[in-house]
Amino acid sequence: MTHRYVYGIVERDGNGRTFDLETTPVGEGDEVYTIAHRRFAAVVSDIETTDPERTDEDATRHDEVLRELVEGSKGDDAQTVIPMRFGMVFESDRALKNVLRGAGPAFRRTMREIDGCVELGVKLVRETDAEVDTEEIEQAVAERLEPLAESSVANDRFSDRLVVNRSYLVSREEREAFDTAVADLEAAHDTLLVQYAGPYAPYNFVDIQVGAV
Amino acid sequence: MTSQRRPDSSSLAEVLDRILDKGVVIDIWARVSVVGIELLTVEARVVIASVDTFLHYAKEIAKIERATTEGDLEDLEELEIELRPESSPVSAG
Repeated sequence: MTHRYVYGIVERDGNGRTFDLETTPVGEGDEVYTIAHRRFAAVVSDIETTDPERTDEDATRHDEVLRELVEGSKGDDAQTVIPMRFGMVFESDRALKNVLRGAGPAFRRTMREIDGCVELGVKLVRETDAEVDTEEIEQAVAERLEPLAESSVANDRFSDRLVVNRSYLVSREEREAFDTAVADLEAAHDTLLVQYAGPYAPYNFVDIQVGAV
Repeated sequence: MTSQRRPDSSSLAEVLDRILDKGVVIDIWARVSVVGIELLTVEARVVIASVDTFLHYAKEIAKIERATTEGDLEDLEELEIELRPESSPVSAG
C-alpha cells in the first residue's frame, strides 16, 4: 500500500500540484506534489512504509526538497514552507486532510510569522589559541545581523570555541544584505571562523506538535 | 566592491540538527487513523509568561474544547489566538 511522506505545509496551491524538482524524493515515488485541504496543502511524495529509516541519504533528500521549495526551482516560485520533522508518513490522504483541518489555526499563525522567509545559520568559532571577548562579539553580531532578520534564536554552544551559534529568520528581500553583513563580520574578526549555513526551511521558528486523543 | 558570503548547504550535521529534532511533529495515531480520534495541537515553543497570559489562553482553550465537543470544526478554524511578544500561545484543537 502506498502512503504519503510529508516534507512540509504550504498555503493552498491547488490539489495535486506537482513541483518540478532536481532532487530525488524520499521513498519510492518519483514526484513531489501537494494534497490540499482548504487553506493549506501538504507537500508529499509516495512511500511504501509508514516508518522510514533515518538514513543520511534520505535526510539529505528531505532537506533538499525543502530547499528547492523555499528557494524556488526551475519552473516554480519560491514557497513559504512550514517544515515537518523527518519521517512524518501518513497512511491515508484522509488522515492527512484531517490534520490539515485540525491543526489549521496553528499552521495559520506560524505561516504568518514565517511568510516569505528562510532560515540561515551563523556560527562563529574562535581559533584554537585565540582569546576573544565573547560579549563584545555577541554585541557586534547582534548589531549587524538582527536588523536584517525578522527573528533569531540562540542555539546550543556545544563547544567552548563556539562563540556564537544562532539561527536567523530572514525575508527574501534581505538575503543579499544578510550575505554582506556576514561577510563584514568575517572581515572584522580575523581570529574567528564564520560558518554560514543554509538556506533552510525555518525549522528553528516552527514548533507545532499534533497529538491524538 | 562589497563582499558577500554565500550560505553553504552541504553540512549534514546542520541538516540533521534541524530535521531530526525540529519541525512539525504529528503523533503516529493522527497519521494512521481517523476514526474516533480527536486532535490536540500544541505550539510548544510557547512559554506561559504570566498568570494573565495563562488566563487569556485558558479561555481560548476552553472555547476550542467547546467547539471540539460540539463537533463544530468550522468555528474552530476561525478561532484566533493572538501572539504577544512576551509570551507564547497554546492552542488545542
